[in-house]
Amino acid sequence: MDNIEVTPNQDRELSVVGKPIPKLDAAQKAMGRAEYIQDIKLPGMLYGKILYSKFANANIVKIDTSKAKALAGVHAVLTGEDVPKKMKMGFIKDNPPIKKGRVSSFRDEVAAVAAISLDIAKKALDLIEIEYEELEGIFDPEKAMEKDSPLVHEHLKSNVLKMPWNIHYGDVEKAEKESAFVVEDKFTTTWVTHCCMGTSGAIALFDAADNLTIYSNTQIPSLAQKDFLESLKAMGLENKRARVIKPIIGGGFGSKLDTYAYEHIAILLAHKCKKPVKIMFDRVEEFNATSTRQPTVIYIKQGCDKNGRLTFRDMRMVLDNGAHTSWGATTPSVMLMPISSLYKVENVKYNAKCVYTNNTYSQAMRGYGNPQATFAIESSMDILAEKAGMDRIEFRKINKNQSGDETPQGLKITSCGLEECIDAVKEELKFDNNSEKGVGTGIASLIHVGGGARIYGSDGCGAILKMDDYGKVDIFTGGTDMGQGLDNITAQIVAEELGLLAEDINVVHSDTDVCPWDVGAHASRSTFVAGNAALGAAKKVKKKIQEFASKILDVPAKDIKFKDRNVFFPGDPEKSMPIGKLLRKAHFSPNGTMLMAENFYDPDNRNMGKDLKGNMSMTYSFGAHGVKVKVDEETGKVEVLEYVAAHDVGRAINPLLLEGQVYGGVVMGLGYALTEEVVHQNGKNMNANFRDYKLFTAKDAVKIKAPVIETIDKDGPFGAKGIGEPGCVPTAPAVANAIYDAVGVRIKDLPITPEKVLAALKEKKGD
Amino acid sequence: MKEFKYLSPESVEDAISLYGQHSETSKFVAGGTDVIVKLKEGWMEPDFLISLKKIKELSDLHKNEATKELSIGALVTHATLEKSLMIQNRYPIIYDAVSNIGSLQVRNVGTIGGNLINAVPSADGAVPMIALDGVALLHGPDGERSVEVKDLFIKPYVTVLKPGEILKKITIPPQEANTGSAYIKFGRRAAMELPLIGIGVLLTLDTDQKTCTKARIVLGVAAPTPMRAFEAEKSLVGQKINEEILVKAGQIAADESKVRDSVRGKAWHRKEMIKVHVRRMGLKCLDIIKKQS
Repeated sequence: MDNIEVTPNQDRELSVVGKPIPKLDAAQKAMGRAEYIQDIKLPGMLYGKILYSKFANANIVKIDTSKAKALAGVHAVLTGEDVPKKMKMGFIKDNPPIKKGRVSSFRDEVAAVAAISLDIAKKALDLIEIEYEELEGIFDPEKAMEKDSPLVHEHLKSNVLKMPWNIHYGDVEKAEKESAFVVEDKFTTTWVTHCCMGTSGAIALFDAADNLTIYSNTQIPSLAQKDFLESLKAMGLENKRARVIKPIIGGGFGSKLDTYAYEHIAILLAHKCKKPVKIMFDRVEEFNATSTRQPTVIYIKQGCDKNGRLTFRDMRMVLDNGAHTSWGATTPSVMLMPISSLYKVENVKYNAKCVYTNNTYSQAMRGYGNPQATFAIESSMDILAEKAGMDRIEFRKINKNQSGDETPQGLKITSCGLEECIDAVKEELKFDNNSEKGVGTGIASLIHVGGGARIYGSDGCGAILKMDDYGKVDIFTGGTDMGQGLDNITAQIVAEELGLLAEDINVVHSDTDVCPWDVGAHASRSTFVAGNAALGAAKKVKKKIQEFASKILDVPAKDIKFKDRNVFFPGDPEKSMPIGKLLRKAHFSPNGTMLMAENFYDPDNRNMGKDLKGNMSMTYSFGAHGVKVKVDEETGKVEVLEYVAAHDVGRAINPLLLEGQVYGGVVMGLGYALTEEVVHQNGKNMNANFRDYKLFTAKDAVKIKAPVIETIDKDGPFGAKGIGEPGCVPTAPAVANAIYDAVGVRIKDLPITPEKVLAALKEKKGD
Repeated sequence: MKEFKYLSPESVEDAISLYGQHSETSKFVAGGTDVIVKLKEGWMEPDFLISLKKIKELSDLHKNEATKELSIGALVTHATLEKSLMIQNRYPIIYDAVSNIGSLQVRNVGTIGGNLINAVPSADGAVPMIALDGVALLHGPDGERSVEVKDLFIKPYVTVLKPGEILKKITIPPQEANTGSAYIKFGRRAAMELPLIGIGVLLTLDTDQKTCTKARIVLGVAAPTPMRAFEAEKSLVGQKINEEILVKAGQIAADESKVRDSVRGKAWHRKEMIKVHVRRMGLKCLDIIKKQS
């Protein structure tokens, strides 16, 4: 890689970066012209449908597919017997796409069909006869840890996953003894789900040489490609190609960070039928068969000295892993970040156990464990402040993170606007002015990765940039837009660097045949990592243009500037040229040249070591949320009156999209706090619909103020840090703290329903 | 979804006759907000779907100036009721109930008749119709008959309607002076919500504006069908109404209810909500009466 300086001149005047340019595909989406996977139909395409288990835990005694196979229009019926032995999903490969012999959750796939129409496919599923032998299920992860518990997977000898989540920084026991005040509590969080507007789906097809093309709703085209190639290999198709195309998707929020059974089943069916096969989830399936946020049982103890300085934090968690393993089991790696590094605390202990149950399995979801951990930490911060007799805002400021800190986990805090965020919230929300009965305020802070996150061996992203004859740019990025706005961010960064307008930049993404490699849209990394990749590519092309223009304009290359679609030499109006004209000269000259560049940006962050230490991100985003609520003391109902969400974002590349991310995050967080819950009874999803899954509606959404704190990060593209996830991280504890402030009851179990609040109020009154 | 033939007769007689021709395999549809869902989910698989939308008389909403009776056609949409000044001013309990059904889009097509005939325990529209002593006019192969709305429901999804019978309209008898009425849907969200419990109260006071001459306390989701809390009503009639008496009535109503635990909510909390909201709605009624005079 050329030595490209990615740090921009932070003082220079910006003309595209920092502007509230509406999402580039907004009109297309608003007019119904955006092509989602729902819209894609290929010639000869068949429709696949999956049959799920009727029990949470059972042996499959017999499967008879003969009637389904005999139905006219059915091209293939698959059972677990048809799945190659090595075809398994998840990072520990414990989950075949169709189960054989034993089912361990209601969402376990037992058969799949492909037919010429969806109706026929559904009918065929009804014709599959399965005899089960039901077994006792295990649904409580703490009970599943007991010695005599039945096992979800007998060959593993234990329900506890072998995961390394056990750390001790400093000396917690000693610090506890020396603490002036110590508090200890238990918190619990439950299943919630992403509720993407677009349901999941995939279309798989093979060419005559058995190369795969798969259209899929994924956030990780390059890593999904790896999973699919592994499946091909398991099918005996070695050295084949897998092209992953991600159409426009209606939301990701982490749900599409792994590959799912429906994708691998579509591959199996397409190969068997030699036709394209599409599997689309309906809404009920979307609720039942996609993965949730990880439910947790959290034990927290923390203390402070008499001056209010945190002395230690000791946390233990039990995570319900469900029957199979996906990224949910790795959320402790991110929980570790707030546990070790939200506020200054030297002595930290954390132990998390992921436990198999016969429930649904969990996945990544916006915040990746951080909302659960922060719920416990920030609720406990208020409890501790009260015990120590300190003002809760002052208490937080005493312990604030600052630039230059290195936390016990080894996180290096570079830019840090936490205190400014807390002050902004305090300024907007009058904290001490709650004379009205039942009204209270709450605050909670957050830390999150803002400069990539080295989860894999690489945290890199590639970009290829080429210019046409007319001054327009095509940039092929490894990054994935899933609605969050990577297209705008990339266009604005490139346009700024090359003196163009955002509309001059065509951002091509999410096709592995065309775009360079990337580890995916996760960890709030796209603006930082894909942004830096694009910026680096733009700088390389800029240098080439300068060198070429230097010959044409006869001025030193380094003095050539770019603005308003022109290249020019400041001070001499004669030495100026529209960039398109210059590019044509480059192409049409003898010994012509092509102005394009590739760039791979891999941040200088670190994987966690065996000691679970390491600076996983180049920089960290901070924020503070404040909320004013009104509690109806007779019904337990909580009304959100005001909400302020202040974030240190480094720099707002696009304030409009940034606010959108914050608003969306907060509303998602409020649902987590107050209404959302996938109700499972003995492993069965009891509310697989939007009537009973209480996602906030437009009418429930509150007005949110979103102060933006710009700390201009030294490593971010134009100083920007990631902001995709933070919006939903501290919402639940801010609400819980406000409820306590309002009516003096502390709810430690999410969501905070009217029933829980009223029960607590009655208990307090001694009713 | 199974294919079906869509028929849209323009008179009640034609609709009944069409039903008669294919009685086993026909279904009537009004706004479709419930029926379409059932069709899509395969819970209902008719060969003929007979739409009542083109029957003009069914969409009639008017108050007879001579008899002071309010007549609400079965096909009157929630949105029409919600926007009617007459409903807003004279029948606030109807406004309270219909203005919070589903979403704007649902209210634009969903009808009051459909809401009743769907016969779910949570039908917001049923509570005010019962509280206002509404009478349903049914028309079937054997002609017309009237049934009080409170007697319309047998169990969830089942009404007293016979095969081929259509609900034509609901008639609300004249409202006495000094009457106030109010309804609240207690739910978790502000829209797209079914009530966890629905509470409607109607009070008529004597000329002294204190003594209760008539009381209706109607509960949704408190039993398999919308129910009147007769004992609670009795506790109010003849009494000078104040907050204390309403609190007691709330307790009686809660005790009368047959609420149960479900995935959506716990019985104890539902009882509490009945207790609290009978009082709150009762006070709202008093407020409305006060403002009228």
